[in-house]
Amino acid sequence: MASEIIKIHEKLVNKEISCTQLVQEKLDALAKNQYNSVNFLLSDLALEKAKQVDAKIAEGEKIGLLEGIPFGVKDVFLLQGQHASASSNFLKNYISPYTATAIQKLIDAGAIPLVKENADSFGHGSTSENTIFGAVKNAHNEELVGGGSSGGSAVNVAKGYTVFSIGGDTGGSIRQPAGFNKVYGLKPTYGRVSRYGLMAYTSSTDCVGPIASSIEDIELVMNVISGKDYHDQTTYASEALDSSKALDAKNITVGYYSDFIENKGLDANIKKDFLSVIEKLKAKGVNVKPLPFKNADTLVSTYYALAMAETASNLARLDGSMYGERANADSLKESYALTRSEGFTEESKRRIVGGNQVLSQGHADEIYLKARALRAQIMDHFNKDFKEVSVILSPVSPANPPKIGNSLKDPLAMYLSDIYTIGFSLGELPTLTAPVGTSTGIQITTAKKQDELTLKFAKFLIAAL
Amino acid sequence: MSKEMSLEDLSSIKGATHSKAVEELFNAIKNAPLPAVNNDFNNNAVALEDLRPDEVHNSSELEKKLIKQNFPKEKNGYLVVSKVIEN
Repeated sequence: MASEIIKIHEKLVNKEISCTQLVQEKLDALAKNQYNSVNFLLSDLALEKAKQVDAKIAEGEKIGLLEGIPFGVKDVFLLQGQHASASSNFLKNYISPYTATAIQKLIDAGAIPLVKENADSFGHGSTSENTIFGAVKNAHNEELVGGGSSGGSAVNVAKGYTVFSIGGDTGGSIRQPAGFNKVYGLKPTYGRVSRYGLMAYTSSTDCVGPIASSIEDIELVMNVISGKDYHDQTTYASEALDSSKALDAKNITVGYYSDFIENKGLDANIKKDFLSVIEKLKAKGVNVKPLPFKNADTLVSTYYALAMAETASNLARLDGSMYGERANADSLKESYALTRSEGFTEESKRRIVGGNQVLSQGHADEIYLKARALRAQIMDHFNKDFKEVSVILSPVSPANPPKIGNSLKDPLAMYLSDIYTIGFSLGELPTLTAPVGTSTGIQITTAKKQDELTLKFAKFLIAAL
Repeated sequence: MSKEMSLEDLSSIKGATHSKAVEELFNAIKNAPLPAVNNDFNNNAVALEDLRPDEVHNSSELEKKLIKQNFPKEKNGYLVVSKVIEN
């Protein structure tokens, strides 16, 4: 699919549509939508910015490619003066005091934020059902989940309510909903995009990235939001991405994890379709190499032990004393406990309690520290694998989107459903979901800081299929 | 007195208890052999020469106003907290 950003930019420049008309149409569609993808509309802010773009065009001034382009923001990012609820009771009335770096960079480039989008509360979930705003419905079948945790963002892009959306990906939260709603979603290399202003879930794997309807738009957005940030010391300086130069099949070696494909939980059709993609690549002259994934048995446990430990620490600050909803009680301790018991959802409580358990005396060595060692081993294996192959392909999810209402009843099944996305989060690797190949798409992963190759290969893959 | 705090106290969540689903995940870690790797990977540690300066930045008036607006309880422009000195 061609770039929606460039298409709209040309319409604005050629005065085929005014920015105000464009923004109003998108706001109307979002307001009417039945997918529960919206937490808060940013109507006043968006229309004011649209007027400024229209005035510039009327004056004959040049506008940048992103100027006037409406976008969505997952409701875990701060945007000054606007709600930031994390889809939780805790923060349902919280107003952002400042703006996240990635969102500010887009605003500085002229893009217009339209909506704070529904998601799993604090990113805790894989279906966008763990939210006080109602379960997000899949863009292609309203009985099914929208995926998670950036479910509202993926649905809004798939339905055309936003041109692109900014999501957060801790263990697959951009890639899995992108696959479930048949759009593109990129989790960049950890540190390529600043996390400043993103509510922290698992700080060591949290990534900010775009969801869009084309690879071109993913690239355009990434080139605005990437870069070193004073406020996030894990960021690094990076060159602009340019995926325009085609890859030569002879120079690519593609790997895939045979342990992932032989997993008994993998849907038979997804497996068949994935293997068909591999055969088509071979037919195009691509060298394909099956690889073992040596930590398959402990992968999900490693991720969740670390994710729960980090989220328990990060969310300890939410006690109702400085901001958020506070439940008053006779003592400070009782006030904290009541506030947290009422403010967090059951799934968030499960993760916080699990995190405190692994960090507590007697458990830290046998669970938390061992999980860190297992993560180091996983990273070491990735480093070795990328000496043998340039790209790794994998399914996005072991199954198709479940029906709304089924997943939260069985949390273990929900955790296990993340098996194909979380490894690349632990490895800090750039990974794109492309909505091709299988019913929930294909993940394309490259070595650290090879985000450009990820996009180039995605173009190659689409042409090959 | 036991050295171990309850999960309820550790989490400040009433009725906090072990979850069967989470226990199953953790058991896989407990039963796994300890890998022979250095677990102190610290990939994103900041180099000494790259540390940002230790400096104070004053927030904008708007940011200060919004921080106050978010106070759960406010009196005369000040944050009201629960009683902190307890028996």
